[in-house]
This record gives sequence, C-alpha cells and structure tokens, in this order.
Amino acid sequence: MLEVTTDWYLTLAAILFSIGFFGMMIRKNALIMFMCIELMLNAVNLTFIAASKHFGQIDGQIAVFFVLVVAAAEVVVGLAIIVSIFRKQSSASVDVLNVSRG
Amino acid sequence: MDFLFVLPIFLPLLTAIFLFLNRKIFNELVTNFFTLNSALLSFAISFFAFVTFALAKFKPISLTLYQWTRTPDITIGFTLDGLSGVMLLLVTGLSFVIQLFSTSYMEKDEKHSNYFVYFNFFVFSMLLLVMSSNFLVMFFGWELVGLSSYLLISFWSQKPAAAKAGNKAFVINRIGDFGFLIGLMIILNTFNTFDFHTVMQSSTNISENTITTISLFLLLGAFGKSAQFPLFSWLPDAMEGPTPASALIHAATMVTAGVFMLVRISPMLQHSATASIVIISFGLLTALIAAFSAMNQYDIKKVLAYSTISQLGFMFIAIGAGAYVAAIFHLVTHAFFKALLFLGAGAVIHSMHHEQDMRKMGGLRKRMPITAGMMGIGTLAISGIPPLAGFWSKDEILASVFAKAGMANELVFSIMYYLFWALTLGAALLTAFYMGRHWLLIFEKDNGIDHSEVQEAPKAMIRPLILLGIFSIFIGFINTPFFHGLEKVLHETLENVEVTHLPEGIALVILAVFSIGAGFTGLIIAFLIFGFQLHKRINLGKFKLESPINLVKDLSSNVLYLNKFGNVFFVSGMKNFSRKVAVIVDGLIIDGSVNFISSAFAKTSKITSATQTGLVRNYVVYFGLFLILLISLFIFTPLVAQ
Repeated sequence: MLEVTTDWYLTLAAILFSIGFFGMMIRKNALIMFMCIELMLNAVNLTFIAASKHFGQIDGQIAVFFVLVVAAAEVVVGLAIIVSIFRKQSSASVDVLNVSRG
Repeated sequence: MDFLFVLPIFLPLLTAIFLFLNRKIFNELVTNFFTLNSALLSFAISFFAFVTFALAKFKPISLTLYQWTRTPDITIGFTLDGLSGVMLLLVTGLSFVIQLFSTSYMEKDEKHSNYFVYFNFFVFSMLLLVMSSNFLVMFFGWELVGLSSYLLISFWSQKPAAAKAGNKAFVINRIGDFGFLIGLMIILNTFNTFDFHTVMQSSTNISENTITTISLFLLLGAFGKSAQFPLFSWLPDAMEGPTPASALIHAATMVTAGVFMLVRISPMLQHSATASIVIISFGLLTALIAAFSAMNQYDIKKVLAYSTISQLGFMFIAIGAGAYVAAIFHLVTHAFFKALLFLGAGAVIHSMHHEQDMRKMGGLRKRMPITAGMMGIGTLAISGIPPLAGFWSKDEILASVFAKAGMANELVFSIMYYLFWALTLGAALLTAFYMGRHWLLIFEKDNGIDHSEVQEAPKAMIRPLILLGIFSIFIGFINTPFFHGLEKVLHETLENVEVTHLPEGIALVILAVFSIGAGFTGLIIAFLIFGFQLHKRINLGKFKLESPINLVKDLSSNVLYLNKFGNVFFVSGMKNFSRKVAVIVDGLIIDGSVNFISSAFAKTSKITSATQTGLVRNYVVYFGLFLILLISLFIFTPLVAQ
C-alpha cells in the first residue's frame, strides 16, 4: 500500500509555493497577486507542520500560529491598499504604479 | 622681579589682540592712546629690567615657561643676557618712537587700527625672536616676524605693487627659512637639545665639518632674513609698505635678525673657518652691490633700502672677521640713524603728498628746515663722520678686518683680508657718496619746481625725528676705543668666543683717518656733482666720459641686472615648471582621479538603475533568482551542507 510520507507533504508544499511564486511573477492584478502571497504563506505553513510531525516536536506548529496571525494582519493592510488602488484607477492593475522606476 | 623682562614680550601681543577685538569700536584717538601707552610701558619695563640686570653685573637670567619634552630637551623659555638685553631695549625703544611717528603718518588711513594691530604683532614676534633661550622659540619668532612683515609690506593691498612685493618678500624669506629649518634639524640631531647654552657649550666636542654644515644652513636663513646677496631683492620692493613700518622692520629691527642670530651662535661659529670666509665674502659682495645700486636710484625710499642692505653687509663683514661686538654695535647705531633717515623720508613724503620721486623734490631745505637738519645728521652719521654714531661702529668694523689680516697665519689669507679691508673701505666711500646725493637731491638741488606750498611736517613727526637725531649723534659713545661699554655688556654672552681685537695706538689712528677720509671723500664727490654741479661748470667733453658714466648709471639703476638674471634663470624656469605641475599633477592626476571616481559612480548607477523598473513582477523575479542562488549555494557548498 502506498504510504504517505513527509516527502509527499514537502513536495505538495513546494508545488504550492511555486504556483504562488509564478503567479506573483506573471499576473498584474493586485487581487490575484495578493492571493498568490497567501498561497505561498500556506505552502510554508504546510512545510512547518510536516516538519513538526516528522521530528515529533511542537515548535513548527507554534510557528504556524504566528504565521497565521501575521497573515491575518497582512490581509487587513493589503486589502486596504487594494481598495485604495481601485479608488485611484478603474482597474486593479499594479503596472501603472511604477513611480519608483529608476 | 628677576623675570620682569618677560612682560615686554607679551605686552605687544596683548595690545595687538585688544586692538584687533575692538577695531570697530575704537576711533583713531583711542587706538593711539592704547598703543602708545603700551609701547611706552613696554619700554619702561625693559629699561627697568635692563638696569636691574646691569646692577647684577650682567649675569644672564633664564626663565623656562614650559618643558615640552625631556629627551630631546625642548623647552619654551626666555633669557636675558647682554645680547638680548641690548635688542630688548632697541626694539621696544624704537617701537615707541616709530609708533609716535605713525600716529601722525597713518592719520585718516582707512585701516588705521589694523596698522597698529600688525605693528604690535610685529614687535611681539621680534621680541620672541631676540629673547628666546633656545632655537625653537627663536624659530617661532623668526617665522612670525616673516608673517607680520608680509602683512605690513602688503598693507595697502589694493595697490598691485604692494601685494606683489609682500608675496616676493614672503617667498624669498621662505628660501632662507628652509635653510634655517634644516639647520635646526641637524642641531637637534647632533646635540639632542635646542637650548643655546647647552648647544654652545657642547659645540667644542663636535667635529668641524658638522659645525660648518649647521652654520651654512643657518647662514642661509640669515641671508634670507637679513637680505644678503643673493636673497636681497625683496628688500627694495618691500618699500611699498607704509614708511614708518619700513623704518622699524626693514631698517632697524627685522632685517638685523640674521646678524643677531649669527652673533647668538658665535661660540659655535668661531670653530668653522669656512663659515667665516663665506660670511665675510658674501657680506662684502652685498655691501658693494647694494652700495653701487643705491647710486642711481630716484625713489627716496629705494636709496635707503639699498643702503640698508649695504649696511647689513657691513655687519656680516664684522661677523666674518670675528668682530661680534662690532657687528652688534653697528646694528645698534645703524638702527638709530636708519630709522631717523626713514622717518625723515616719511616726513618728506607726507609733506610732498605721497610723492616719492627725488627728481620732483629738490630745494626742500628752506621749506622743511628741521627735517632737513635731522636727515643731514642721519646722512653724516651713516657716512661715518666723527663724532656721529656711524663713525665709531664702521671704523671698528674696518679696523677689525684689518686686524684679522694681521692675525692670519698664511700670507694668502693675509693678503685676502687686506683686500677685503680695502674693498670695505670702498663700500664705505660709496655709502657716503650715495647718502650725500640722497640728501642733496631732496633738500638742496634746484630742479626749478615750485615748492612754495610744501609745509614742514606736523609736530608728531618732528619730535621723533629730533629724538632719533640726538641718539644718532650720541649712541656711538657706548663703545669707543676709550670706553668699551657694549663690550662689557656682551661680555657674558661672548664669554668663550675669541673676539678679534682692534689694533692699538697709532695703527688705530691711521685706520680711523682712512675711514674718515673715505666718508669725507664720498660726501665731497656727491657735493661736487649734485651741489656744485661740477660737470656743468667744467667742460668734460674732451675726456669722453659720457658712455662709461651712462654705463655705470644704467648698471646701477638696474642693480647690475641681477633681478633680470634671477628672473630669467630661476623665476621663469620655476614658473614654467609650476605651470607644468599645475597641468600634469593637478589637472591630470588629481582632477583626473577625482573625476574618474565620480563619473564611474554616475555610469554604474545609470546601469543599475535600469533594473529598477517600478514593476512588482520584476522585483519578484529578482527575488526568485536570488532565492535560487541561495539554494544552490546551500546545496553545493560542502561546509554549509554538513
């Protein structure tokens, strides 16, 4: 029977992280980019939990709680920024906001 | 009470600072009040200190203010011995008299208070130089004197000539100071101390070669400061400064610093025969060149400037002949009559509304009788007419050179010194001639110019003149063959020095007759040409004298073309060289490297700034690339992987 090992979780986390990362690279909608960040955060969370289970220690799971709290706070700030982008322009594209170009 | 002599050194400095801080508040009257009282107080303290010192049988007093380091032994200290005592009295006394004159001469000048600030600062520097008990403090004074003379020469810096003259004086002095500094370094290296007393005492144990090297380097310093050949050309140009400042600095005190220094190191100097020969020959050369150049000058102050150089040459001759007392004696008498002549010239310039060309004067005797009389005394004194001051000192120098010839062991040296004596006598004759010409051109010769508006100088100018006139007559009596006053004062200072003694009896009388003869001859020739107009009364046409006389005149007014020679050979080469340095070192290397660095930064930042697109996606790509880099490092670096 196929046994689900830690490797499987880590691979899933890597795939999820990569999806999130590529999404960040290619999409320009602020909302989608935001979702990609969340995806990456959760991929990391998955890694933490898998590691915690693998070594039989609780530290990883505690770290995940911290990440969740930070992510929640980030959602508040991030959504506020996205709303203000929508107010400034009709689309949610971030490419227009290139004032910091060198 | 013993250390009272330190007060007059710092009093002028305090006055200078005080006047500088209050220069906007004080008007001329208040400035004059403070500066004159300070000068008078300074002189009074000096006089008191000197009398106390004299009553204590001229026993040197030393005061160490601060011990800087113990090995090598470097201190900040002052000393009062015969030599510095004489200089202390001379500097403070003349400073008072000349400041008195200046109050009137500098009246209504825009920078009146600045003048007195510089003046007091100069007096401080000079006193620092003469009162020091070691080479270090002397060097401080030496440099500060150079600085303050620069400030006073280019005092009217709005005149380009004055600014240029100040620079010239400073640069030429720098050549001398360079030698002086090297001399000091060798001294510190050899003796491990700067203290005069210790250096002089241990100089007997040092090889003659070392002493000659030290002496020659110090001599270069003395040549620069005392305007000896070949470093003399700054002094005539320095006449651009205010006349009273010229009187103090370029006649009475500063230029004598070299002579003073050589007498100070005389216990060491006597061990070096080479140095003595160099001193006497350069002194003689200077005395002759300067006296020759003074003959055809028409600027009232330039004649006096060349005359100063020439008289300094006499002092160097005295030092070279081993007659140190005679050198200081001539320094003292010269200070008085040259200050008198300069202040007299200042009075004339003042009355002529800043006209300095002697061809536009003439016949001023009736308009300015007192000035004419006092200048006449100065002229007679410098010409060596007895019993005025210059006679005693100049005669002593001449007699010393003659005696030195008798002392020489080899015939060659003997003949050489006799020749030196004859040439010195010639320089004395020239001195009498050009000074006679100077006086006659200003006060006697009728140039057909109406001077009826010219007035006698104001009282504040006349009084210092009369005072100096009296001194010019009587100061010579401090050291005559019958009364060796100055010799006693300097006895402690020159204790271990072998001083050349004057010949005695009939020989001295014959030598005196010679020197008096030279003085009178010079004056009579001057009178025949410029007073009696001899060349117009008798027909000289048949002698064909026109072209030699014109040649002499031409050479004299161009200073034997030495300035032009120096310009062509040294100055222009130096200018070209420094221009090249400016282009290559400054333009290419320094500017180039600075510009390269700045342009490199500009270019690289232009390239790197292209990566800053302002698009979040691109930044994520960089972030990802960096992540890949980190991961690959983590995997492929064996140590980290462990």
